Parts: sequence; C-alpha cells; structure tokens
Amino acid sequence: MTLETLDALLGQVQKPARYTAGEPGSVVKEKTPELLRYAFCFPDIYEVGMSHLGMKILYSHANRRGDVWCERVFAPDDDMENAMRSAGVPLYGLESFDPLGEFHLIGFTLQYEMCYTTILNMLDLAGLPVLARERKAAFPLVVAGGPCASNPEPLCDFIDVFALGEGEEMSDELFDLCQRARREGWDKAALLAEIAKTGGYYVPSLYGVSYNADGTIAAVTPKDGAPAVVQKRVIADLDKVFFPDEFVVPLLPTVHDRAMVELFRGCIRGCRFCQAGFLYRPIREKKAETLVNNAKCLLESTGYDEVSLTSLSTSDYTGLDGLLDGLLDWAGERHINLSLPSLRVDNFSPELLEKVGRVRKSGLTFAPEAGTQRLRDVINKNVTEREVLDTCRMAFAGGHTAVKLYFMMGLPTETMEDIEGIALLAQKVVDLYYSMPEKPKGKAVSVTISAACFVPKPFTPFQFEPQDTMASLEEKQKHLLKSVRSKKIKVNYHDASTSVLEAALARGDRRLGPVIRAAWEKGSRLDSWSEYFKADAWEEAFRENGIDPAFYANRKRGYDEVLPWDHLDYGVTKRFFIEEHKKALQNETTPHCRISCSGCGAKRLTGGACL
Amino acid sequence: MKTVRILFEKTGRAVYISHLDLMRVMQRTLRRAGLPVWYTQGFNPHIYLTFALPLSLGYEGRREPMDFRLLEDMPFDEAARRITEAAPDGIRALSAAEPVMEPTDIMWADYEISFVSDAAQPREAFLRFLGRDGILAEKKSKKGVQAIDLKPLFSASEVAGEGLLTRFSLRARAGTAVNLNPALLLEAFARDEGCSILQKKVVRTAILNTNFEEFI
Repeated sequence: MTLETLDALLGQVQKPARYTAGEPGSVVKEKTPELLRYAFCFPDIYEVGMSHLGMKILYSHANRRGDVWCERVFAPDDDMENAMRSAGVPLYGLESFDPLGEFHLIGFTLQYEMCYTTILNMLDLAGLPVLARERKAAFPLVVAGGPCASNPEPLCDFIDVFALGEGEEMSDELFDLCQRARREGWDKAALLAEIAKTGGYYVPSLYGVSYNADGTIAAVTPKDGAPAVVQKRVIADLDKVFFPDEFVVPLLPTVHDRAMVELFRGCIRGCRFCQAGFLYRPIREKKAETLVNNAKCLLESTGYDEVSLTSLSTSDYTGLDGLLDGLLDWAGERHINLSLPSLRVDNFSPELLEKVGRVRKSGLTFAPEAGTQRLRDVINKNVTEREVLDTCRMAFAGGHTAVKLYFMMGLPTETMEDIEGIALLAQKVVDLYYSMPEKPKGKAVSVTISAACFVPKPFTPFQFEPQDTMASLEEKQKHLLKSVRSKKIKVNYHDASTSVLEAALARGDRRLGPVIRAAWEKGSRLDSWSEYFKADAWEEAFRENGIDPAFYANRKRGYDEVLPWDHLDYGVTKRFFIEEHKKALQNETTPHCRISCSGCGAKRLTGGACL
Repeated sequence: MKTVRILFEKTGRAVYISHLDLMRVMQRTLRRAGLPVWYTQGFNPHIYLTFALPLSLGYEGRREPMDFRLLEDMPFDEAARRITEAAPDGIRALSAAEPVMEPTDIMWADYEISFVSDAAQPREAFLRFLGRDGILAEKKSKKGVQAIDLKPLFSASEVAGEGLLTRFSLRARAGTAVNLNPALLLEAFARDEGCSILQKKVVRTAILNTNFEEFI
C-alpha cells in the first residue's frame, strides 16, 4: 500500500497524522526476503500506545537486529475504521504501510483488560481470522505479552503464544525460532511445539482444562511435552540491559509526550492491591550513572524538553539524590523539565520538593489509597495520615496550592466509615492549608479526590477476594459525594460498570473466550473509552453464553481452589499470597523489602538475594 | 542575535501534520539539530518560532516560510542542512536567509489543485462555475458567518479534466487581512453545481507579495 492509497481516507478523518507516521526515530528498513517482519500492536489508539515506555524499548530492541524489522500498529479510531472498512483497506504497519497479514509476527501488548475486544477488532481489520485455530499457517503468528499475560486464559481462543516476563530477556529467542521455522519450512504445530520448550513462552493450545461441577477448575493438563508450569523471564542486571538511545517522537500530542527513563523494576512495598508491585518482582535498580546517560542520550536524540523519571515508586529509588544532581543543572541549562511521578508521602523530603520545584511547579499527586488507617493497614499501604499531612504542609510551604489524592473504593473489609474517611482526610488537607501562616498569599487551595473502583487482580493477596458489587460501589460513590462538604474539594470517580467487567476479565478463565468474541461481534471495541463502551453488548454476550460475570467478579475463592493462572509462575508464590491475605484480614501490615525480606519467592528468578 | 527565515517543503506524510502540531514538531526539530536558537524569556521559556502563513491540514507546501532566531552566527546553509537532517519525513529546509519582507507584505498564494468530483462532465461544470459573475460563499470567522464574494479574490487557469479528475492552477488572496482557502472555493463549486468533492489534493507552490514577488 502507498500513501496515495491512504490519501483518500485521510482527508475524511480526525488527526490523520495518527495513521501516517514518518516520525523522527521511526525505523524504515530495506525489504529483503530474509527479513522477519514484526508488527508490534498496541490495542488502543495512537496517542495512548505512543505513551507507553515498554513499546518504545521493545521496538528499538527488535530493530537493533539486522534480520528483524519491527513496525508499530495502533487501533484506528471510529472514523478511520469506517473509512478503512468501506474502502477495503486492511490494517497496516505504520512504517511500511504493508498489510498486517504480510507480517510474520504480530505481537500485542496487554496493558489492561479492557483492550481485549480491540485485539479481535484489529485482527479482523487486518483480514485475519480472530480465532487462533482458524489461522492454519505458521505465519503470521500472533503473540501477546505484558501484565495481562499473567492471566491470559480469557484470550486463549485468539492468541497463539503468550510471553511471560521481560521482552529484552526473551524476544531474541522467539525471533531466532521464527527465522529457523521459515528457513526449514515448519508447520504451525512444529513451531508452537518448539516455542513451548523455550522458557517463559506459554502456548495455550498445548494445555487442556477440566472443570468441577461447581464451575471451578479441576485441572490444567499439559500436552505434547509442554511444561506443567511456565515461569516468567526477567533481566538479572538492569545496568546491562538494552535501553534505546532514540524514541519515535510523535508528530501529534500523545498522552505522555516526553522522554522517559526507568529507575527500577519491581517494588519493595508489597501493597496488597497492586498487581504491578508483585508481577515485576524482584526489585532491580539501575545505577544513577546509567540513568543520567540514558536520559541525556534520549533528550539529545529526541529534542524533547521533558524527561520523566519513572518507576512504580520513584521516591523509593536509592540513587535519587545522585540522579537529580547529575541531571538538574544539565537539564536546566537546556530548558528541560524533570518530572517525578509516583512519589510516596512517607519519604518525600523538603530537599526533594525543592529539587522538583526548581524546574517547574506542577500539581502534586499522592496516593493514600484508603481513607482510614485501619483500611490502609489492610492493604499494606504503610502510610499514615500524619505523613500525608506533613507532605502536604511541605508542598504548601513550597508554594503549591493544588494536591490530588488517589483513593480506591470497594477494598476488602471496607465500610462506610472508610468512605467517610476519604472525605475527612481531604478536609484535613484543606484545613491544614488555611491554618498555615506561610501558605501562598491570596490563593485558594484545591484538593482533588480521585476514587477508582478496586478490581482484585491475579498474583496479588487479594486474588481470593470477591469484588464489591456494582450496587455497593455506586452507593459508596454517592456516600462519598455526600460526605464532602468543602467547595475546595473536587471528587472524580470511575464508572462502576466497567470495573465489574474488568474484574471478570482479570480473573477469568477460558470460558470467557466466546463471551469476548460475542461482545466484539456486537460492536464492542475500545472499551476503555467511555464513549465506545457498550455495557449492553457485554451483558448480552455473557447471557447468550450462559455465563454469570459475578462468578468471576464477585465470588470468594478458597485457598485450595485451582486458579486459572496457577500453572504460570511469576516468582512470588501462592503460599505467600495466602499468608498476606490472612494478615490483611487481621489488619496486619508487612514491612517492605528493605526492612526485612518476607520470603515472597521472587528471588528464585534471578538467583541470590534481591537487596 | 539574528532572525533567520527558512523556506521549507512539507510533502508526503508530513502534509498530515496540523499547523498547531507543526509548531511543536519544528521546536523539537531545532533542538535535535542542535542549533543555538533563542528562547522566549517568560515563565515557561520556549523556542521562538513563527510561521508567516499557516498551511491547512492535508495541503502540501513547496516553499513555506518559518522564522526563528539564532544566538550565534553560523552559515545559513549549514543551518538548513541540519534542520533537514533532524526533520520528520517530508519536511526539508530548502534555504535559509535573513528575512527581507514582513508577513504583512503577503498578498497572494499560488496553488496547484486537483480534485475528484461526481459532477457530470466535471471540467465543463467547473469552467461554468468559474465563469459566473459572482461566487458567493459563507466564511466562518470568530465574528460569525459572513457572506462574501470570492470572485475578486482569485484567478484560476489551466483547467484540465480527465474522467472524474479536474486540475487547475489557482492564484488566491492570502495573508492576514484577506485569505482565500481553496477549500472554500471547492465547497462553493460543489454547492452551485450540486455535486460532491470526493477527494482533493492542494499544493501551495508559492507565497507572493503585492508585486507577485516570492515572499522571502
């Protein structure tokens, strides 16, 4: 396909630059028969996908090989999808404009459950069968990775192979196998059998699942020599791991449009609701020196004027002082801003605030997650009200007037008292501001409460917990609104119905495949966008397939139940999650990894101790 | 400090960069090119950059002007070369020089236009349309919708047809005071002849002053 073919479509759509690429940093290679064509697909629109650091890393990582050409593919928005379907234009790689069907590897990144129907839609828009078993040839092979691959079962009908773990560690082996398969003319069965022997790759068609009378899983049985348990792969030394010296720099604004460096993977905290905190264990830091080099290199090659120092909990980074000292002056001279997301209130120093504030004063966001100390102990957040207030005091003294506080509703053991606690804490922040003689003169304070609905996720201590029902979540939202009395406090909350679906998909099993397919056939895609989310389509899809979403969302699991993801090993053991769950119900906290090792099991993955 | 005006082309994939986005794209391009450019001195410093005549989304530009300021002297050729190397696909700096004219000197722009319509005998229909005494159009501005006569604002030549495709050259009023976007002319044609424009390609080939000299 050529740009001329697309011109006719692009004249009719919003933001056509989403569909033409040609950005600085995008990689174009000469087409040769030997080249392995790899389409890296992000199942959301361009602006979302282009904000994702993992995609940037893996794009450059694949393209560093002479024998692989990795291109990017995003989901088209409604207008472009309609234009493509009516003109018979298939989904294509942004760099070459070649149809997806001509690629050897099609890789999806699974960042959130609400993208599942978009995957089907993208395959269909490429003219490919959505069902894996109907794609008979070895290529294109459809692979998926990312956090939702930790429970891939609902997607088993559609995806050929799941990659568990970190792409830099494992993707070369897949590329090599695909190249060998092409040279030697393997069929799909032979290719899948070989991939299944490679560590970290899960081939779902090589496993049978049987069920008990009560609907729970009886057993997951491997076939044809596939391993009984697939263990995720991780990079042992982050200082030596590949990191791109270039990013594709988008030509239209994206959600996160800046350079990014990754301070560490994993997290020492062990908040019991947080899937990322367990999935990415063990904790592995990069040296400040490595990060300073990564950042300078990226900023020079991209022309960005902002770099984000990212991680799951940036103020936990042990080299933060050295990193900021190494970057602040250099960045300042070049009109470059530093942004530090994910700061905690219990180790946020005035010095840090001063350093962050030196370049630009933006809003500050903190996440107490729950409104009372009791509930914060249940979730092991290990943050006190005093720490929240002390941090806000520092921020206000430093000239900030806006604070955003993140909470969750529907946490295990939550009562209306905990909901009132959210409003109370926000009110205390407002009162604190007005009690301070040194507050910024003549300015009002603004406190934003952002309250998400809690979704229990696999590989967390709360994987056994039922999700709060929709009725209860809605009642709690109303109660929160009623409990807020100050006009200085603004409340944002999420739609409960999408959270219930998210909960069903997150802990679903293979029986959800037909439901996802039916929902897509009824027009569902881009479900994370409220303007596209079709609650009715999903309800019908569940009903037609005789499946009650509450079985997945709102049911308490016993510790001895076979969970759909029990045959996947992400390092942290089920035994540890059970212990943590028991402690949660007794309001008992667990110290973070730097205070003492709790023996979660993740260190098995790298051998030796984490810290 | 020296103001520099480059003339650049915006073709291929780059035609889909909107004017608003082009500002940021060019700022990043200048940073990547490593040119010693001047930043505004406000609360939020940014690279000083101006475009004398915005180009609509989807239009190709052959010689588009952009001004910025250099803090240190450097050969103009080198500045242009480094910008081209750092720019996205489809953007090339053709020349760099100190500005001669003011943006307010801009009076005309030349376009090469082709369009596909569903008019019966499109070339004849278009010639008939051009031959009218007055061509009324509605122009939306901040002040509201305004009826204007397009006829004095342009001259069209070299009208050629081939099946559903019609091609012509257009010289249209341009600048801050009066500006005729070719899309408005094509909309008026579609309305008057009762047809639809199915696809159009617009190339701005030159920007001119009142004496029809190129804006430099």
